[in-house]
Amino acid sequence: MDAWLSWLICGRSRKSSYALLAPAVLWLALFLIIPVACLLELGFLRLGPYGTVVFSLTLSNFSRAIEPRYLEILLRTLGYAGITTLLCLALGFPAAYYLSFRAGRRRELCLAALMIPFWTSCLVALYSWMIILGREGLLNSLLLRSGLIAHPLRLLNTPFSVVLGLAYFYIPFMVLPLYGSLEKLPRQYLEASYDLGAGRARTFFKVTLPLCLPGVVAGCILTFIPCMGDFLTAEFLGGPRTYLVGNLIQNQFLMAQDWPFGAALTSVLLILLVAGLYFYQRVEPQR
Amino acid sequence: MSAYIAAFYAFLYAPLAVMFVFSFNDARRNVAWKGFTLKWYAQLWRDGELLRSLATSLELALVAAAIATLLGLLASYALARHPKFRGRQGCSALLSVPLMMPEIVMGVGLLSLFSRARVPLNFWTLACAHAMIALPYTASAIRARLLSLKDSRLEDAAMDLGATEWQAFRKITLPLARPAIVAGALLAFTVSFEDFVTSFFIAGIGIVTLPIKIYSMMKFGVTPEINALACCLLLATVALLALRQRLLSGAQERAADAADRALEGAARQAAEPA
Repeated sequence: MDAWLSWLICGRSRKSSYALLAPAVLWLALFLIIPVACLLELGFLRLGPYGTVVFSLTLSNFSRAIEPRYLEILLRTLGYAGITTLLCLALGFPAAYYLSFRAGRRRELCLAALMIPFWTSCLVALYSWMIILGREGLLNSLLLRSGLIAHPLRLLNTPFSVVLGLAYFYIPFMVLPLYGSLEKLPRQYLEASYDLGAGRARTFFKVTLPLCLPGVVAGCILTFIPCMGDFLTAEFLGGPRTYLVGNLIQNQFLMAQDWPFGAALTSVLLILLVAGLYFYQRVEPQR
Repeated sequence: MSAYIAAFYAFLYAPLAVMFVFSFNDARRNVAWKGFTLKWYAQLWRDGELLRSLATSLELALVAAAIATLLGLLASYALARHPKFRGRQGCSALLSVPLMMPEIVMGVGLLSLFSRARVPLNFWTLACAHAMIALPYTASAIRARLLSLKDSRLEDAAMDLGATEWQAFRKITLPLARPAIVAGALLAFTVSFEDFVTSFFIAGIGIVTLPIKIYSMMKFGVTPEINALACCLLLATVALLALRQRLLSGAQERAADAADRALEGAARQAAEPA
């Protein structure tokens, strides 16, 4: 027994490495790879009567996915995810910069404080945003009382509230990679730039920004991908005009019972995702 | 800059603050302050369905964390400690795929697989899915620790003193890596406990996890009970995160102690037969 375990541990044979990795790889194959493969296949199958699936190949689900009314939803999702990503970048970059350069002794605390909202159940945060943004909600009553507005603003169930919600949930995905790349930036480069007479702005645009570009790309991709698949934010903070692909997919699987069409939509989402990751891989090695 | 950071954190914490304040508000409709009350907390305590869903979520998270930790430990040991082998990069990339995948894809994918294979949806299928989602977290936490222990000569020392590789692993490496293993397990527990999207698609009829219960509470009417519940959850989350932080930061010091003790023990054992 001891000899066998030692063989497993020491890794002198390739087989021992595979033996240690096998459970995890099998697990991922069973509960991740095969389900996704199954989903991709389902997208090419035909819908039978009463929500059943007929095993005959077809492209109709995909052609339906790019019909104008569905294409509109897809493009809207892309737009929302894009705007959210840019917003997160704009809001998150100064925060990451502060964490990395200015926070000093408070850094640990600030980093931990960044993670607490992230680990809070997103449902609960959505509920809070509903209280804040509602027609008779907190923000409106504050604004009314202060006399800035005469009538309550329509904040909830608008594109604004959806983008705000998405940005709220996914901003840690932007800040952490940015922070990581700023952390790795050698401080001497900045000093050299200052010594050579460059001002702060010039140093920022010529040295800091180019060197942390991989972090920017990573952050953008890590924010963009989950935004594309989100359906809870639009469900609770949005209205009929902010229907996103995630809502459509959820609807096909749980309400309309048109699984092949839902699977085709998910496949389109996956293709976009793989394209994004491929792009990320291209940028990553420069780090 | 400082003003911006204050505003940034205010944005992050506004919903949490609102939920905290309104959990004590004595009003059914959530808008105006009607006076202090603890009745929402009391109501939580009496809500049998809610408590049952909490129990389900805790059990689920325990099972998922156990599986994810075991699989993560084995895999990360091979990745961190074994000499290079073919497929290492691929395996390492595969282990981070669940992090990159939007949850809705995993949810509907698992749903279509299970229904295709006619696997009944129950507690165990959900636990397996949660373990898959949590696996990248445990694997990366443990792997980082094993890599940082790589330079230590303690295992070599133990083996010089006559320990087999397995003994060196069990007596030296495992105790030194334990804080990271526990921290990874805590992370996996949290991931499973908070998971909504995947559970939403593949929880069968009878399985109601806490997030699913919260979702249906939100769907079928506004109740301040959710605020009270959220505060309790937040408290638990903060406690878990603090525990994890302490484990990881305390690990360095205790690692040195443990190493001393291990070496001492090994030396004594080696001296005994003589």
